[in-house]
Amino acid sequence: MKNLIRAELLKLRTTRMAYGLALAALAFVPISVIGAIVSAGKSGGGPALGTGEGIRGVMSAGSSGALTVLIIGILIMAGEFRHGTVTSTFLVSPNRGRVVAAKIATSALVGAAIALASSALTLAVALPWLATKHIHVDVFGHNVGFVLLGGIATMTIYGAVGVGVGSLIRNQMAAVGIALGWVLVAESLLIGFAHEIGRWTPGGAAAALEGVSRDGLLPMWGGAVLFVAYGVAFAVAGTRFTLRRDIS
Amino acid sequence: MTSIQINGLTKRFGTVVAVDNLSFEVAEGSITGFLGPNGAGKTTTLRMLLGLIEPTAGSSTIAGRPYRELVDPFHQVGAVLESTSFHPGRRARDHLRVLCTAAGLPPTRADEVLHEVGLADVGDRRVKGFSLGMRQRLGLAAALLGEPELLILDEPANGLDPEGVHWLRNFLRGYADRGRSVLVSSHLLAEIAQTVDDVVIVAKGRLVTQSSLADLAGRKKPGVWVRTPQAEALRQALGAKGIAAEVQTPDTLVAFEATTEAVGIAAAGAGAVIFEMTTQHFDLEEFFLELTTPTLNPTTEGGSR
Repeated sequence: MKNLIRAELLKLRTTRMAYGLALAALAFVPISVIGAIVSAGKSGGGPALGTGEGIRGVMSAGSSGALTVLIIGILIMAGEFRHGTVTSTFLVSPNRGRVVAAKIATSALVGAAIALASSALTLAVALPWLATKHIHVDVFGHNVGFVLLGGIATMTIYGAVGVGVGSLIRNQMAAVGIALGWVLVAESLLIGFAHEIGRWTPGGAAAALEGVSRDGLLPMWGGAVLFVAYGVAFAVAGTRFTLRRDIS
Repeated sequence: MTSIQINGLTKRFGTVVAVDNLSFEVAEGSITGFLGPNGAGKTTTLRMLLGLIEPTAGSSTIAGRPYRELVDPFHQVGAVLESTSFHPGRRARDHLRVLCTAAGLPPTRADEVLHEVGLADVGDRRVKGFSLGMRQRLGLAAALLGEPELLILDEPANGLDPEGVHWLRNFLRGYADRGRSVLVSSHLLAEIAQTVDDVVIVAKGRLVTQSSLADLAGRKKPGVWVRTPQAEALRQALGAKGIAAEVQTPDTLVAFEATTEAVGIAAAGAGAVIFEMTTQHFDLEEFFLELTTPTLNPTTEGGSR
């Protein structure tokens, strides 16, 4: 299992795709932080910066790369089918369950690593700026710590979900397209305009876990439980699907 | 001891029967050619053997076990299935290093096999710049990483230039000479006729014949082609001597399994004038076509379906 995870990490390190996506994920962070601080307290923006909610809004920028992590997860799995490398992968280790488990672990690890870097970047941009506005931020207080931890958990789980999606939708372009459409359009609309449905979607659960303060979302712990459940469901479904599939 | 055993293997894709109750064996230490026209079910059979495709019925084993249950598959079997299964943006050496890592082999094996297949100079290049022949060699390099006892190659000569085919033949021969086994598929008998010891011939998913190449060649004796204005009279004279013959055009005839002497004697007896006479040499390729062409295929005539 350790060898398989190391092999998956080596696969990511030996093409340019993963580097590009990781950089993109990190590039989103300062943009999100700046956006959150500039718009805070204004109409259409988040709550005022002086409030706990406002600080949480800024800190949740740390998970702005979540969608990119989802895509990395999809590529880790669907990319094997796209390029046909799945054949040699399964020839080396015919136990497919272990291969998929290694991919899920790898994707989650990558998600966690990007999330850690994102959190550090969020603090690096937000703290000095907020200090100039004389807004005191308690880094170890629950407003900051919980939100950053929630973001790290979200992106870790998104990595696992991505592998599940990539297993269920084998066509890489279709998998990425459907995932983007779902997250950016369908879920956004549901969360924005139909809370009672939107809060139960993966994105709704993830947003709650990220500590985003918005009407209609589940409480943070509820989001955590639900999103973990989604992660497990996608991982199990993807694995089961891959076990029986003909590789031709 | 048997290296590969295939028992009643069947695969249906919807209503299409790709492989139909196929059984054969591959002995250890031999090179076996797995032959059949395109679409005969060779690739599907090999993929079932390697645990990549689930058979509809039947089973297959390598060294007594299904591939998925092999203790150390990478050291037991090396397979080259198609020339396109590389990430185009990954360097050749990195592709091999990934497989080494997954199999728990030292990464230095990557350079060793690159050298073995003649790609040592291009290991640092990304695979997208590789020709089909280079991809075939890289695929072979990957199969060799674990120093397996058995090599399974699906149409390995595709995309190789004549020099590459020659190299591949020598390589496979050297491999088998060390007591290892090779199963190599091809749709061209001529391509591997010089290399293989045994042949397994399939058509339409079914076994046509399994034999040694020498036996296969021995099944068809040379015939004699004759040009004579009395073709029909000669055919009857040959028939009276127990030699089968066929009039092909009004003035040409082929006598099967005959010598020129026997035909000449029969012609003298029949008073036939011979304008031209020549021995038809056995053409393995033609025989292969005959075996795999549906109308002449003995197993499809009066088959069980």
